Parts: sequence; C-alpha cells; structure tokens
Amino acid sequence: MENKSFFQTKEGGLTIAFIVIMVAFAIIIAGLGAGSTAACTVGFILIAASMLYSPLKVQVYDRLKKKK
Amino acid sequence: MNIPINLFMWVMAFLPIIVLLFLLIKCGWGATEAAPVGLLITIFTGIFFYKADITLIAAESAKGIWNALIILLIVWTAILMYQVGDEAKAFLVIRNGMRKLLPNELLLVLAMGWIFESFLQGITGFGVPVAVGAPLLMGIGVTPLWAVIIPLFGQAWGNTFGTLGAAWDSLAMSANLAVGSPEYWMTALWTAGFIWFWTVIAGFAFCWFYGKGKAIKKGLPAVLILSTIQGGGELLLSQVNTTISCFVPACISLIVILLLGRTKMYREDWSIEDSPIMNRKASSGADSSEELPDMTLVQAFVPYFVLSAITLIVLVVKPINSFLGQISFGFSFPETVTGYGYVNAAVEKFSALTPFTHASMFLFVSAMIGLIYYKKNGWIKEGGVKRVFVKSISMTMPSGIAVIGLVIMSKIMDGTGQTQVLANGIANVLGNIYVILAPFVGLLGTFMTGSNMSSNILFGGFQMTTANLLHLDPAPILGAQSAGGAIGSAVSPSKIILGTTTAGILGSEGEVLKRIILITVPVAIIIGLILFAVVGI
Repeated sequence: MENKSFFQTKEGGLTIAFIVIMVAFAIIIAGLGAGSTAACTVGFILIAASMLYSPLKVQVYDRLKKKK
Repeated sequence: MNIPINLFMWVMAFLPIIVLLFLLIKCGWGATEAAPVGLLITIFTGIFFYKADITLIAAESAKGIWNALIILLIVWTAILMYQVGDEAKAFLVIRNGMRKLLPNELLLVLAMGWIFESFLQGITGFGVPVAVGAPLLMGIGVTPLWAVIIPLFGQAWGNTFGTLGAAWDSLAMSANLAVGSPEYWMTALWTAGFIWFWTVIAGFAFCWFYGKGKAIKKGLPAVLILSTIQGGGELLLSQVNTTISCFVPACISLIVILLLGRTKMYREDWSIEDSPIMNRKASSGADSSEELPDMTLVQAFVPYFVLSAITLIVLVVKPINSFLGQISFGFSFPETVTGYGYVNAAVEKFSALTPFTHASMFLFVSAMIGLIYYKKNGWIKEGGVKRVFVKSISMTMPSGIAVIGLVIMSKIMDGTGQTQVLANGIANVLGNIYVILAPFVGLLGTFMTGSNMSSNILFGGFQMTTANLLHLDPAPILGAQSAGGAIGSAVSPSKIILGTTTAGILGSEGEVLKRIILITVPVAIIIGLILFAVVGI
C-alpha cells in the first residue's frame, strides 16, 4: 500500500490551511492597526483561499479523480 | 442605519443560511466543505448588496478567527481529555462500571447522555458536554451517530442558565432588564418555564430513540422525576438566584439517577436487544477482546472529578475568580461602517480571553492531572503520552476550518447588518403573528453563532424593541428568545462538529442535523404557539 506523508493527507492539507489562516489573521490585525487597506485585502484573500481548500478538494478534485 | 428592509434584501441575508442547510442536509456535505461555501455567499452579499468595504469584511473575519480560536481551544482540550482516558482504557472501565451500577440500559443511556451532560453544561458549557459526552456514550455501546445526537439534546436545556448563568446575564444586559426588577424575575420565570417544557420533551425523546413506545413506558417515571428536578428546580431557583439555577438541579439529578438505579423498577438488568441506537456487535466484541486495566470506576473518573472541582472552585469562589481573571488579552478593532451607515463600534479589547478562568484551562489542567495519575499507576504505556498529544491535534484540525468558517460567517452577517435585516423583516411583515416566530429568532441566533449567549446578545434588544413596538408584554417574548436559543444549541453546526470530531465521524454533520431538527423545530413551533395564545391574541 502507498504510504502517504501527513501533509499529503486531507488532515495535513487542512493543517496547512489552518496555518495560512493564522498568518492571514496576523496580517489583518497588523493592517487594521496601521490603517492599511492593502494588508487587509491580502489577509482576506489568504483566508478565502484557505477556506476553499476543503470544498475544492473533496467536491471537485477528488470527484474528477474518481471519474478518471 | 439606512438599510432598505425589503423582500430582496431579506432573501439575500437568508441565502447563506439556506445554502448551508441545503448542502448539509440535502447534499450530505460535511461542515468542513459546506461552511466555506456559506461564508463565500455571505461575503458576496455583504459586499455587493449590503455595501461593506474590504476593511470591514477583513475586520469581521479577524474577529471571527479570534472567536473561533477560543472555541478551538475548548475542542482541543476536550479531545485531549478524551484521548487521555482512551489511552488508559478508562472508558472501558467506565462502561463496565456504570453498567454494574445502572443495570438498566435505558437508565444508563439517560445517565451518560443527558444527566452527565447537564452537569457539565451547568459549569462549563461552550460545547464541552457534547465533545466529552459523545465518546462516553460510545464507550457504553451507543453508535457514533447517536452518541453525538443524544448529548446535543441533553445539554440544550442548560444553555441559558448553565455556565453559571452566562447566557441569561447577556439577555438581561441586551434587553436592559435591571437585575432584581419585576420584569427581570418575570422574564426568568417565562424562560425557565419554556425550558422545562423542552426538558420533558428531550427526556421522552431519549426513550423514543432507544426503543420507541416500550422504552417510553419503561422510562416514564425516570423521565418525569428527572425533568421535574431539572426543569422545575431551575424554575424555582430562577426566582432566587439565576447563577446557580441550572447547576444545582443538574447536580441533584446526577445523584437522583444513581438512586433510581437502586429502585425496584430499575435495579434489574433490562435492555432492548434490537435498539437502533446501540451497537451490539461492537460492545460484545469489546468485552471479550479488550483487556481491562486494573482500575476502579472512581479511578477512571478522576479527570472528571478534577474538572468539576477546578471549575467549581474557580467560577464560584469570587476571590479566586477575580485573582485569576486579572490576566486577559484581546485585540483592538477600529470602527467600521457600511455604505448604508451600519456602524460596528470600535473596541479596545474584543472578546478578551481570560486564560485562567476559561473552560479550556480547566479541561487542560484536568487532562494533565489525569495523564500523570494514569501514568503513575501504569495504565498509560510507553509512548502513550506522545500518542495522546498527536491524536488530539490531528483530530482537532479538520473541525478547525469548519468552526472558523461558521464563526466568520456569523460575524460578517452581523457586521454588515444582514442579521438585523433578517430579524426586522420577519417582525415588519408578520405583526403580532411574529410572536410565533420569536423562539425561532433565538434558535436562528444560536444556529448561526453556536452560542445561546451570543444569540441573546444579538437578538435580546431586538426582541425587546419588537415587543414594545407591537405593544406586547416583553417578558414571555424574551423568555421564548432565550429558550429558543437554548434549543438552538442542539442544531448549531459548530456544536455538532465538536461531537462528530470526538466521535470520529467528522463529515456526518448533515445526518446528525437531519434527525435533530425533527424534534427541535416542532418544539420551537409549539413554544411559539403557546406564546401567541398568551400574548399575541
């Protein structure tokens, strides 16, 4: 059986997404403190991208892989 | 606020919730997949229809992440506590010990799924009873799905006056009820009355789940006694001291159920062999194949005794609470305004976390004491400590994304005025008939935020204002708000996730929700109809 490393599993992917969200949180807090809209935008985009990891993987990528 | 309250805006505000429910219930998606979709729709409606700018959305997202982190601390520490017990095989001891103490299986399910959760809700709350209760029920042979559903029902009644009255205090604060005023006591009376009704229904629901009519017949005396102690006791105490009006009846019911196990009616072995909630294969297999540690029932419960003791001491003894509560930290947020003039006031310390009086600290300390105690007695083998921590972290991560998504969603809905439009729209269109939906507003608030306290903060003032606009007595309406909020804690996705995570069935949230709404929604309707009969006609 193929042995996957932790970060190749769904839990690993979600852990990376979680870490990115924490980074985005820090960027937004810093952006709000400095009054920087650019920093807030970057933080917000990072959150949105990380949040989409699970639905895209489970509902799109895995389904396409199954069909193939 | 100049947000136009019309059907279109109302539908736009409701869209994220509808999509979330559709994906969870109809499509069978897990919350980790459904929550981000709901969140994206909320962001879209917030920016394009509610005129929020990117700074406001980013600020509300950051508030959501901070609140979610605080919830996740509880999730992780609750799972850590479970893993400690699991590694030491304490749940096997609890299962066998409780079976001996309560040979009647129905009473055992009531004790482990309702009464113990009530006790935990009385002191901790924040989803801890669900996270801790699910593995305990699985330990006595309940299937994972029902091991999540039963604690969700079991803890709901304690959501308003539990956690030492935190949600009740927030209702009084947001509705401007002066402590000790006649309105204050009258509202407490109505709230406790509606909750008592729910307690009775929940008690019979447990029996129905276990074995339909046959179990209801067997469980009738126990349910009547226990629900009277919990619901009636809370009603009485709500007129004396709202802080302990859940905790005291919850403790009494814990003692009474053990005494009931000694009575003629419940002291014999009794079970329904083909009960749909019991996993007979797993429980009989575990009996024969797994070796039990040399541990007594009391020793197996040590982390839980420690949890109860620490929580009580820190929360009830005022000087200790004040001393430990001195350290707190939170982030400041600037004022944000939508294009419609909906203002989110600046806050100096948003949702400050007081780590030493927080439920996660009680759980963490109890888990560590349990770990040391079990290890000292040789019940945790070589490498067990590392396994406990690794397993707890990898179990927490998947639910983290879902919790973050749901909390950000509720923050953005609140911060862009969508929540206000939802509530105002209902009241404007329905007039006096609105009172039927008053419990639903509370339920909706808890569904969205995962907390009866947050629901009361969100909608307490709104329910008061609406009642005054319609020239109705606000006490029963506020009572229905908080009771609806308490019932809503059973359907809240973020609480469901806590259970599915510790039960190891993450992704089955839709299955859980499908079964729970069959009871919670009709009960909310009945409360609404009672309310309409009392104040609306």
